[in-house]
Order: sequence, then structure tokens, then C-alpha cells
Amino acid sequence: MSSKIMSLEEAAGLVRDGDRISFGGNVLHRAPMAMVRELARQRRKNLRIVKTAGAHDIDLLCAVGCVESVDAGFVSYETEFGLAMHYRKAVEGGRVIGNEHACYTVICALRAAAAGAPFMPVAGLKAGDLLQVADYFRVIQDPFSGEPITVVKAIVPDVAVVHVQEADEQGNAVIYGPKFEDALMSRAARKVIVTTEKIVPRSKIRMRPDLVDIPGFLVSAVVHAPRGAAPCSVEKAYDADWKAIERFKKLKAEEMDIYLQEYELKDRGFKAGGLR
Amino acid sequence: MNMNLMSKGAEPRVCDIMVCAMARLLRDEDRVFHGVSSQMPMVAMMLARHMHAPNLVHLNIPGGVNPASIKKPSYSSAGAELLASGEAYFPLEHVFDLSMRGGLDVAFLGGVQFDVTGNVNASVIGDYHKPKVRLPGGAGSAVLIPTAKRAIIWRTKHDKRTFVEKVDFVTTRGNLWKIVTNLCVFEFKNGSLYLDSIHPTSSLEEVAANTGFPLRYDEIRYTPLPTEREMSLLKQIDPFDYRAKEM
Repeated sequence: MSSKIMSLEEAAGLVRDGDRISFGGNVLHRAPMAMVRELARQRRKNLRIVKTAGAHDIDLLCAVGCVESVDAGFVSYETEFGLAMHYRKAVEGGRVIGNEHACYTVICALRAAAAGAPFMPVAGLKAGDLLQVADYFRVIQDPFSGEPITVVKAIVPDVAVVHVQEADEQGNAVIYGPKFEDALMSRAARKVIVTTEKIVPRSKIRMRPDLVDIPGFLVSAVVHAPRGAAPCSVEKAYDADWKAIERFKKLKAEEMDIYLQEYELKDRGFKAGGLR
Repeated sequence: MNMNLMSKGAEPRVCDIMVCAMARLLRDEDRVFHGVSSQMPMVAMMLARHMHAPNLVHLNIPGGVNPASIKKPSYSSAGAELLASGEAYFPLEHVFDLSMRGGLDVAFLGGVQFDVTGNVNASVIGDYHKPKVRLPGGAGSAVLIPTAKRAIIWRTKHDKRTFVEKVDFVTTRGNLWKIVTNLCVFEFKNGSLYLDSIHPTSSLEEVAANTGFPLRYDEIRYTPLPTEREMSLLKQIDPFDYRAKEM
């Protein structure tokens, strides 16, 4: 079996400008920040981001101009850190299209993609202006009952990037703690990049195959990325780094390289004594 | 301050009054969901479980059913801690499915603008395609407010920009039940928002001066102050005072 382990830079090369890209995790938890920062360093263009509820990931990519559109239910930091100002300014300035979803409609759109269906009914989306302004929602007639039902168009990410605690060289990946929508997006996307706190031996994975959330056959690349979600949290590994998030929040869009450089060596796997 | 409504002991703050008002809206055996940036509902649910609703089912984004504790420092209302101290795993997508099939009793949601006819805006100020202000988004609101049996909104800033005659954008409407603010509680009934109770820390004049539509009410009532028991439970349940984070 050939290994799918790649460097962060190589794996980022699987993402093309203009790709529809979904990120795992939720708000400040288990976001794949090492890959997000790499995409930001490479100044990738016109990414179309998909996430139920995002924060730091979406905010950073909007700050450096990598984003064409964001399909999400919620984009904001948690209470203490307030709004995602770079995202907000980018949408208000017309540089980024903010496609508002209910978090659940992102889930339904990914479920449609995972099932190979063109759309998915959303029973609860019954009222409001989103039905008029959003071209990804349509109210159709239920062919069985004749009643109106809202459907959401499938979202097929070109790439899903998911950060996990453990994966083997083939990409069999285990998530501890909340899994959010990560397994779903791995089924919906055309390509899956797994970044992982630890590379574990295949023999360890084979002891408990029932714990594998993402099977390796769906995975294109595995990146060893210790602290790869920082400053967001990873269950059983580290808590959110509130001070780092505070520092980031104080930076202007044109100062993002300060933040990106701070993490560059760590993200790319250099440490004292050479390559990891 | 209406002093004859004051309980003995430490003076309750507005956040204490709000959290207790939210807790009292919950009934035993209710299945209740809160999302992200939702420390106040999280504390209110915990308080209700310790008081009158021991069989309440606490649901959340990370999927921890009935977390035993919410005490961990630097707490997030969407973090892994809620699952780690829970009794079962029931993640967000399953909570949504539950609500779609009519099985969710209460959802706590936010919002930025509300109008007298019960419309909720969490999306934009100005035009949707060219917004003057891009808000964080409704998160689950657009599917939960129509499907949860009772939707409760909380909001710590009650002003004329928040309570308006007509919202800029209707993110959703539906089974809105109560809105708990830093000044009062509104109830949505017969197609209109009614002033339900005024917090004893505020007044009819203050609520009226900060609301962008004429107030409707059946009678003037005050929100009961937290009891000593509620206050002492709050100290145990929420020693790091997450309930004050939004104030």
C-alpha cells in the first residue's frame, strides 16, 4: 500500500483556484487551520467556502483575499471575540458573496451530494426572505402529497479539508470528541485532505476499525500537522488559544503576514534540528 | 429599581434576572437545544435541570446529551466539554432532524432585529445582495424557529435598532414564543409581540423609549427576581459567570 502522506505545501497543491472547498470542525473547534494558513500564504484565489458555522478559518481567508463566496449558516467568533470582521467587511465591500444558509441546509446540501442526488428536501424551511433571494433554495410541489416543500441544491465540494486526532498513512482517520459534519463532507466531496495531529500505525487502526470516521479509500492526502487546528481547539490535545485569537483579531487585513509568519515554521513542519 | 420586589442577599444583576426568566420558561421533560455563543441559554438550561425540570433534555452542537457540568474554564457553548460530560452522543445534524420531525420542544436562538409581527432578522441590514451590514447569519434559526414547538430568543441589547416596526430582512418567522432582553420579556401571540413582563431593573418608560414600535400589553407585570435558591444554584452551576459574558 502506498502512503498518502504529503507535506502541507504539496497537499495544498491539490486545491485549485476557484475550487469549492469545505472545512471540517465548527466555529473555534477543530478547524483545519494549518491548511487554511497554507492556502492564505499561497494567496489562492476565488475559493468558494462551504461550512455550517465558521469563524477564524473563513475570516482569515477573507482577510487575504482568497475567497469568492461563502456558503454558511453562521460566521462569527464565539461570544468573547465578537464578529468575524474581515468576512463582514469583504461581504459589505462586495468582494465576497455571502450565501446565507441555515446550518441545516448546508448539511442537507452535503447529504444530497453524498447521496449523488441533485437536491434535498428541507422540511423546516417554510418562511422568510431567503426563499426569495437565494437561488439555491426552491419551493416545489411534493409529487406525493401535492404540498409545497423547500429543496436545497446539492453542494459538491471539490475538496474537503478535515483535521483529525489520528490517521494512518492511507488516510483512515479517527476523530475523538464531537465530529461535527466532518464525516458527511468526506462523503460529499470529490477529494478529501486529512490533516492529523498524529500519524498512527495501520496496525493500531486495524485494532478498532469501527472507530474510523473517514475510511482511507476516500482520502487523497494525509498531512502530519501537530497543532494543526491551533489557535482553535482539538479535543484531548489542546484548548483554544484565546490569546492568539485575540492577537489575530487586532490585526488589520494588510497585517495578516505577521500572523501567517508566526505559524509558518510550525505549520510546515520545521523544528530545531531539521525537518519533522 | 422596584425595591419591594427585591429579594434578600446579593443584588441580582440583569444577567441573573434574564437567565432565571429563561430557566422558568422551560418545563420538565422538554427537549431543549442551544447553539454557539449561547452561554446564557446553557446556564438557564442547567438551572432548570437543578430546579423544576430534572428530566429536561439538554441538546447542543457538539452533541453531548445532558452534560453533567458546564464549569470548565474558558468555556465554549459549542466545545467538546459538553460531549465529554454528557450521557450520549446526539450531534447537531440529528438535533435538526429531530426538530424537522416535530420532536424538539424548545430552541434558543439569537437574532439582531425583530419586528412587531414576529419576524426575525439575523442576516443583513440593508439589501441582501449589497448589505450595509453583513450579520453573522441565522445559524439554525431559519429551520428551527418554524419547527421547534417553542422558540425562545434572547438578546442583551434592547434598543430601537433591534426592535423595529419592520425588519430589513426576514431570516425566519414561525413558532417564536418569547424574547428575553436586558429590559423585559416579550411574548409572541395573536400575530404580535406583546410586552409580557418588565424586569424590575427597568421600567415601562425605559422599555417604551428603547422599542421602535408602540408597546402592546394586557397588564403591567414585572419579571420575578431570582430567588435566593436560584442565586445560590447559579453560583454552583456557573462559578465562572459565563452568564455575564454577553452583558
